[in-house]
Amino acid sequence: MIIDHDVPESLQYRPDKVTLDESVQKAKLALLNDIKRSVYIYRCDLGGCNGCEIEIFATITPVFDAERFGIKNTPSPRHADILVYTGAVTRAMRMPGLRAYQEAPDPKLVVSYGACGCTGGIFHDLYCTWGGTDKIIPVDVYIPGCPPSPAQTIYGFAIALGLLGQKLHHKETVEQPGEQAPLLYEDVPYKVRTALEREARLYSGYRMGRDITDAFFGAMERGGSVLGNVDELIRSEPDPRKAEVYGKLRDDLVSMVVTDEQRDADMRRAMELVVASNKNVARAQASGTLPAGSAEKVAAATRIPQ
Amino acid sequence: MWKTIRQILKTGDATVQYPNAPLKRPEYARGKPEHDSVACIACAACAVACPPNAIQFVVDQKAGTTTWSINYGRCVFCGRCEEVCPTRAIELTEEFELAVFDKGDLEETSTYRLQRCSECGAYYAPAKEVAYAARILEQSAGDDDEVRVAREMLGKCPKCKQRADAYRAKRHSETQKREAGEK
Repeated sequence: MIIDHDVPESLQYRPDKVTLDESVQKAKLALLNDIKRSVYIYRCDLGGCNGCEIEIFATITPVFDAERFGIKNTPSPRHADILVYTGAVTRAMRMPGLRAYQEAPDPKLVVSYGACGCTGGIFHDLYCTWGGTDKIIPVDVYIPGCPPSPAQTIYGFAIALGLLGQKLHHKETVEQPGEQAPLLYEDVPYKVRTALEREARLYSGYRMGRDITDAFFGAMERGGSVLGNVDELIRSEPDPRKAEVYGKLRDDLVSMVVTDEQRDADMRRAMELVVASNKNVARAQASGTLPAGSAEKVAAATRIPQ
Repeated sequence: MWKTIRQILKTGDATVQYPNAPLKRPEYARGKPEHDSVACIACAACAVACPPNAIQFVVDQKAGTTTWSINYGRCVFCGRCEEVCPTRAIELTEEFELAVFDKGDLEETSTYRLQRCSECGAYYAPAKEVAYAARILEQSAGDDDEVRVAREMLGKCPKCKQRADAYRAKRHSETQKREAGEK
């Protein structure tokens, strides 16, 4: 979306941000570069949905076991080395957040946790939130995610403790002259492609639908008989659910690309086969192996359209 | 005691080795949406679909550019962008190591040129998007009336297109009247 702010930024109220004096900043840098002790964390929820809390507690379970690195959850900010802030900072929770920050002894690290903590997330433009921890206090590490999984959390603490390096970096790309987006499945007509994709998504959802159409178009483009390839795909599919969707897509494809005359010819041939078998029925009836009237019933049910 | 130790040895270690070893994520785990700037046609479908406005487009009319941007700090990894992308330029990957020290590192941008209208000269759409549409129309079977009209309208901005449509409708009704008169 293109968002225009009608009110200039200078006229909008922003809360004063806590600033650090030089000595604290230096001590903090030293702490960030080399933490030579176990870190105690204090978790502070500034209006989150509790999803982040659940993931934090998943992180300290035996499977992810954050205590391997000496990370321990503490119930009081006075014991904390790292403050973990979750939530988009609602107006009501700004003061409690600041109090927790002031209670923690210097030098302390602040981790902004989850999409809401980093930028305000889905609540970034809500009237009653300040949109992120960094609007009120200086933040050292941002852990994005909604909510961050335990692995993401451990990665965040690992970069804060210097165990791992940061992977994500700012990236800017500019369109090069003559740059063109590649066309997908050039050999499949565009209208057929979009209609089949829509159908597959309807049956299996967009993610599996995409896998299904990928296989389907791959079979169509392989060369040789298109319907033969598709039939081969359906026959070799071990998953009956997928095979059914392939079958439905095949029917759609047939209705789109096979002309009426072709279909009528096919139908006539099928009917001829049925008539031939009717003759067999009549013969069986004459010899007394079938009850009388069966041949008429079969013929009525399978009358050839003229 | 021995029984307990034997039990512990039998149960083994439940803790994952991460971060000392790479973590195996489950299939279809939702991670960082990866943007392929070459495959992108700047159609803004992802920006419209994005629930938290993590993906945005900013149009610069003076420079004649439009800038796609994503803020991973705001992304909720819902996959709507992947769902709506017509060219598969954006896809969710299994990459989950996104934590950063500097907020600027959470942002990514791509800039695209805008195209001028062939009649009035105003910028109206990303050049790549128009070129993509032209190639799709080329690929489509030619004599279809719908396709023919679409080809004529391709280089026009919405306003000029509307005007051209009105003239076409007028011409059409006049021809019909004339034909009715002849009969």
